[in-house]
Amino acid sequence: MEYLLEADQLGKRYGGRWALRDCTVRLPAGRVAALVGPNGAGKSTLLHLAVGLLRPDAGGVRVFGAAPYENTTVLAEIGFVAQDTPVYRDFTADELVRMGGKVNRRWDATVAKARLAQLGIPPRTPVGKLSGGQRAQVALALALAKRPRLLLLDEPVASLDPLARREFLQSLMGSVAESGTTVLLSSHILADLERTCDFLVVLQAGRVQLSGAVDDIVAEHRQLVGPRHRGEPIDGVGAVVRARHTDRQSTLLVRTDGPLRDPSWTAHELTLEDLILAYLADRDAQANHEAWGVPA
Amino acid sequence: MIWLTWRQHRRQALFTVLGLAVLAAFIVPTGLSMRHAFTRLGLAGCVATGGPGCGANIDKFSSTYGSLVLVSVLLLVVPLMIGLFWGAPVVAREVEQGTHRMIWTQGISRRHWALVKCGLLGGAVAAFAIVYGLGMSWWYGPLGQVDVRQSRFTEVFFDMQGVTPVGYTLFAVALGVFAGTLLPKVLPAMALTLAGFVGARVAVALLARPHYMTPVADDQIIQSGSGTQGDLAGGWVLSKEIRQADGTFVTSGTIRCPAAGDGVPCSPDAALGLRPGAYNHQVFQPGDRFWTFQLIETGVFVALAALLIWFAIRRIRRIA
Repeated sequence: MEYLLEADQLGKRYGGRWALRDCTVRLPAGRVAALVGPNGAGKSTLLHLAVGLLRPDAGGVRVFGAAPYENTTVLAEIGFVAQDTPVYRDFTADELVRMGGKVNRRWDATVAKARLAQLGIPPRTPVGKLSGGQRAQVALALALAKRPRLLLLDEPVASLDPLARREFLQSLMGSVAESGTTVLLSSHILADLERTCDFLVVLQAGRVQLSGAVDDIVAEHRQLVGPRHRGEPIDGVGAVVRARHTDRQSTLLVRTDGPLRDPSWTAHELTLEDLILAYLADRDAQANHEAWGVPA
Repeated sequence: MIWLTWRQHRRQALFTVLGLAVLAAFIVPTGLSMRHAFTRLGLAGCVATGGPGCGANIDKFSSTYGSLVLVSVLLLVVPLMIGLFWGAPVVAREVEQGTHRMIWTQGISRRHWALVKCGLLGGAVAAFAIVYGLGMSWWYGPLGQVDVRQSRFTEVFFDMQGVTPVGYTLFAVALGVFAGTLLPKVLPAMALTLAGFVGARVAVALLARPHYMTPVADDQIIQSGSGTQGDLAGGWVLSKEIRQADGTFVTSGTIRCPAAGDGVPCSPDAALGLRPGAYNHQVFQPGDRFWTFQLIETGVFVALAALLIWFAIRRIRRIA
């Protein structure tokens, strides 16, 4: 399988704090991947490392098999939309397309213009005067005009209202389906991802908690309800992600590694959102209690 | 990149050109009328050889145009302004608005981006500064010849004409760019530029400039009567002392009955108790070193600017 992005034990430190640590992820070609995690989990750091804005402090990251830091060959084939979709606000959309042609060797202005025309973006209005959704579309059009093999989007829909969010994701999906571009998009809005993404990376406090194809992940995880569980192994369960107990009953979210045969447990399927939240919620509480110096 | 630089900075360029036009509207008429008066009063001859009525004519000229000198002192801030409005936003505004993540992830390297930007902006402001500096030299010419105290070589007047504004402007812009790589917001970057610029200028002017070349000492016997224009004319006096004939120090910061008189009789101050043979001891940089000093001063600031740009590009590669 071809991997467009490979991170190996990747780490980035700001001062004494590791924003990203021991991050090992491989993103296969042709996927639309979601990078999920709460604020401060290291999503932006991972994307900035991938696009070569940052240099790793530990481990390595390879895009198209090469280190992306200060590598214009790699950069030429990555489309990147940073957080809050920054563009020069005093430029018009038309000028931004023109600018793209000046700073890129490969640049498909027709693609960008056709896209913007179709979305009804006015060409001669400064983009600062457009709505947030339109500005995000302009930023996306600029990224797509590079005809990238890999598209990295950092919270592209975070600041958009639900309607603009859906439109943005729809138009994104439409164009990557045509071109076969691989996408890695970070978000903390889970509901949108289930519809759009087929690969998942869950990041929490600078570490990868979970990564893999969405179908596999959903297929592997089960919620088990059964008698009070005291840590003894259950046949077919690889790891317990989260456990909740009452006096007589335990509810476990588990990652299976084989068929579940134990009749004392009832297995339920999980939605992707429940699953992600289970991975995130637990560690959040723990970290917060540590930060405040109170027992969990 | 060239188009992008122009598109991003055309407003600054417009305002700078407008500023130069306003400056020209002040400098050209006053400069011309100053030159006319200078010729009409025959001051060229007065300055060279002296003569009857020269004192009165020089006073007349000074009283009309002397106050302009104070106005021109305000123009010392021109390079600083260019540094604040051209230099500081180059990186700081990109980072403040997050657009550095957009422009630095296109198909060109950050080094390329920084070199083209700094090169083009540096070239543009250098052109502005050359026009400004030479214009000021032309304007200041008559004033500098008339009044020895306002020799073009002295602090402030040296700094606003000739080629030094080019050095100062390039330095201010480079400092602004560098400040923008340290502080990710425009306003703090401008504040840092301001502080750094004033600090560096004062430090160089006070500590380094007097030592660019070994100063010359000049001793003149104090005597009643009149002297002629000495070779201190147009020079930059670093220190003045009065000494007795045997070299004992009497007082400093003043001279008595200088050779550079203008025909007006003078008598040494009796209160100082000067004995015959007492002399003025002055240490100065001769006036003919003016352009050498201009070039050295400009070179110092251009070198500082290059150093700052080098640091800025190193910093830019670490901003994400």
